[in-house]
Amino acid sequence: MTHRWRAVQTYPETIYSMLWFELLIQGIIHGSMYAIIAVGLSLVYGLLRILHVAHAGLFTLGGYLGLLLTNATGSLILATPVAAAVVGVIGMIIYRVCYHPILDQPPYVALIASIGLFIAMEEIYRLIFGPYGLSYARPPLQFQVQFFGIQLRAAEVGMVVVSTVLLTALSYLSQKTRLGIAWRATVDDPQMAASFGIDAVRVRYLNFFIGSALAAVGGIYVSLLSNLVEPTMGGVPSYKALAIIVLGGLGNLKGTLIAALLLGIVEAFGTIYIGQWLDRDAIAFALLIVILMIRPQGLFAGR
Amino acid sequence: MLHLEGLGCGYRDMQAVHDLDLNVEAGSITALLGANGAGKSSTLMCIAGHVEIKTGRIIYQKSDISDSTPMSRVRSGIAVVPEGRRLFPRLSVKENLVVGGYVRPKQRSDGGMAKVMDLFPRLKDRLGQTAGALSGGEQQMLAIGRALMSEPELLLVDELSLGLMPKMVDICYDAITALNRAGMTIILVEQNTHRALEAASQVCVLESGHAVWKGSAGEAAGNQEMINAFLGIR
Repeated sequence: MTHRWRAVQTYPETIYSMLWFELLIQGIIHGSMYAIIAVGLSLVYGLLRILHVAHAGLFTLGGYLGLLLTNATGSLILATPVAAAVVGVIGMIIYRVCYHPILDQPPYVALIASIGLFIAMEEIYRLIFGPYGLSYARPPLQFQVQFFGIQLRAAEVGMVVVSTVLLTALSYLSQKTRLGIAWRATVDDPQMAASFGIDAVRVRYLNFFIGSALAAVGGIYVSLLSNLVEPTMGGVPSYKALAIIVLGGLGNLKGTLIAALLLGIVEAFGTIYIGQWLDRDAIAFALLIVILMIRPQGLFAGR
Repeated sequence: MLHLEGLGCGYRDMQAVHDLDLNVEAGSITALLGANGAGKSSTLMCIAGHVEIKTGRIIYQKSDISDSTPMSRVRSGIAVVPEGRRLFPRLSVKENLVVGGYVRPKQRSDGGMAKVMDLFPRLKDRLGQTAGALSGGEQQMLAIGRALMSEPELLLVDELSLGLMPKMVDICYDAITALNRAGMTIILVEQNTHRALEAASQVCVLESGHAVWKGSAGEAAGNQEMINAFLGIR
């Protein structure tokens, strides 16, 4: 009798702890996806004070190039760095053509240009690749892996691993190398940085290259998770990334990473506990509103 | 070493300095004195390449650098300690020094840092601290150290003593005179006339953007005309 009673008591606890663990893991997977997308946006804002909405268009382009190259070569390992490099260069071209000529204009001019560019990019993708989306011929990383009793797709694990590796590399670059220190100095005070021989324009190009390449990797892994790339796939990530960089304190990289993970986890739990009232994508903005009511400057101070 | 020939400079439509001629000898300390708004800092920042030249030329080491960028001026041996220090507040002390030595090969960075630590031993214990967390005096030491990291031959120092405790002013002036004794040429913009005249070998007094008096520091110390000009009561 005692034994049966204990079994009844412990059974729901196990279920709940497994559910919470799974939700936490799902939150980390989504959070790492948001992080890799939002970091590029945060980098651009930190350096130029521009809300680079067209960043989401580069995310979509990454998805397309990753898919086309993987289908052509059969190798995701080859397709990912090539797509990231190409999108990185296109990011630099966007800086040169769209933002560089209007840097001395008020910030809303660049914002309008960026929104226009994003809309144009979506339409270009629609014209080139068609409106219905493309899928992988043989989607890679779709096998299941076990992680502490939870079934995960290899693409989900890949998302977390690739994000962690790339963001750790970015952190090393910015903290431990002369180039990274010069980059942070330019963010702090571009005129003084220039007076010590740091080429601010080169730093801006580097910024756009890295941010755009990271967005491309995000696009590739999101397309792997859904096995679909479509012209409008940048829409949701674009406004979520904006919510994340505001939450994390505009231009604050550490804040951006923490806000991305927090949003991923809150969304994962929110879909279970408040999903009947609030759509998953609306949770980002509910969280943004709640946090901005408590801390108008975001979770961390902005730059 | 440096010749300003009919230099005029300013910001957009406003001209802050008019027709300034100045000859700075190698190994000297030149003090630019004057009241607020006289054009001292504008002159200094124009030499560093941050203020637009309207007229005249800047000749440095026999080359016309009037059109060169701030970056190339640092490479050619001109460094600036700006008013208000303008450190990179989120970067550590060590990182600020790394930025200072950015134009020099990485291998020389450690040697440069050791020299700065010899000059300001106090910074040794603060290397990992962010620059924004330092006291005013330590920040001024770091600003001088950061400029020295680029191995300058001409050091431009703007308002060295501004907002510092007397003890810190002494430390900073001792450092400046030590650097000058080691052969560095220095141009000093200063409101603290007394300290500037003690350190300087030559003086140029500016009033409303015009040079109104030039001479040696010794002449300046007892010269009523210069004092009148400096106080703006002519």
